[in-house]
Amino acid sequence: MSEVATVVVGWGITFVILATYSTWVVLRGKGIGQELGIGEVEPDVEQDTGATTDS
Amino acid sequence: MLGANSGAKMTATPVTRVLGVSALAATALMAVLGLIVSPPDVIQGEAVRMLYVHVPSIWIAYGGFALTSISSVLFLRRSKRRADQGRHYDRLAGSAAEVGVVFTAITLITGMLWGKVTWGTYWQWDARLTTTVLLFVTYLGYLALRRLPAEPTVRSRRAAVMALISFVNVPIVHYSVDWWRTLHQKASLSVGRRPEITGEMYWTLLYSTLAVTILATWLIIHRYRVIRLEELRDEEGLEALIASRLNKDVGGH
Repeated sequence: MSEVATVVVGWGITFVILATYSTWVVLRGKGIGQELGIGEVEPDVEQDTGATTDS
Repeated sequence: MLGANSGAKMTATPVTRVLGVSALAATALMAVLGLIVSPPDVIQGEAVRMLYVHVPSIWIAYGGFALTSISSVLFLRRSKRRADQGRHYDRLAGSAAEVGVVFTAITLITGMLWGKVTWGTYWQWDARLTTTVLLFVTYLGYLALRRLPAEPTVRSRRAAVMALISFVNVPIVHYSVDWWRTLHQKASLSVGRRPEITGEMYWTLLYSTLAVTILATWLIIHRYRVIRLEELRDEEGLEALIASRLNKDVGGH
């Protein structure tokens, strides 16, 4: 393998490893967060009651 | 059930988003500097560009393992006095070790590729390479130990002890090139010693280290929060299991 090819492969593998690991960490956090219902927007309960004082 | 988790947050916050974007921009600039701006070496030619990923990676790995050790000491000393039973320190130790292992893997892979063009071989069982692979395997063992089923406090205690034992190898890896005759060159930069490189190469190496540090910090913060979410999920699963067991018992009578 030539010097340039070695550099391309080395840097390429480095970026692939880091991108894969970063994506895995973010997606795992999102997945477990959704499983637990954390971070989801709470529905506006008052909106559904229909109780208004306006006439 | 969710009420217990209402204080918990997702893995991303505005601060980590800024840190994440900074890491992305910093690594992009690192690629420009390392692959285009920095000149080829007189002896090694283009192959010297491996320096900018290989060297910062092992420094980040050292830093990650040092953080694991410090957190482990704090866990062992303070866990009984803290309301969270030292879980904060345990999470920090685990996340830093995992990031350290990822960067050790990068060090080994880039080192092998670099070795092939400069030494003519991917691998030699010399002191630096052998101790580095031992470091990688030991911390893989540490991560495996963290996943063994056990009572959380006992598991964290065992992991903390193993982290301290594993860290003994870090100075051995670093100084192996001084202590033994090895194929591996001496450290490019070392405290109290004149740098082996200068000029654009020197600054590119320093900048690469900064860029990789930002990325590693972002990864450690995110991984810490994921570990916290994993703990919450396990606790909720356990509570649900106990509740269903109790309901079954009540229904049975």
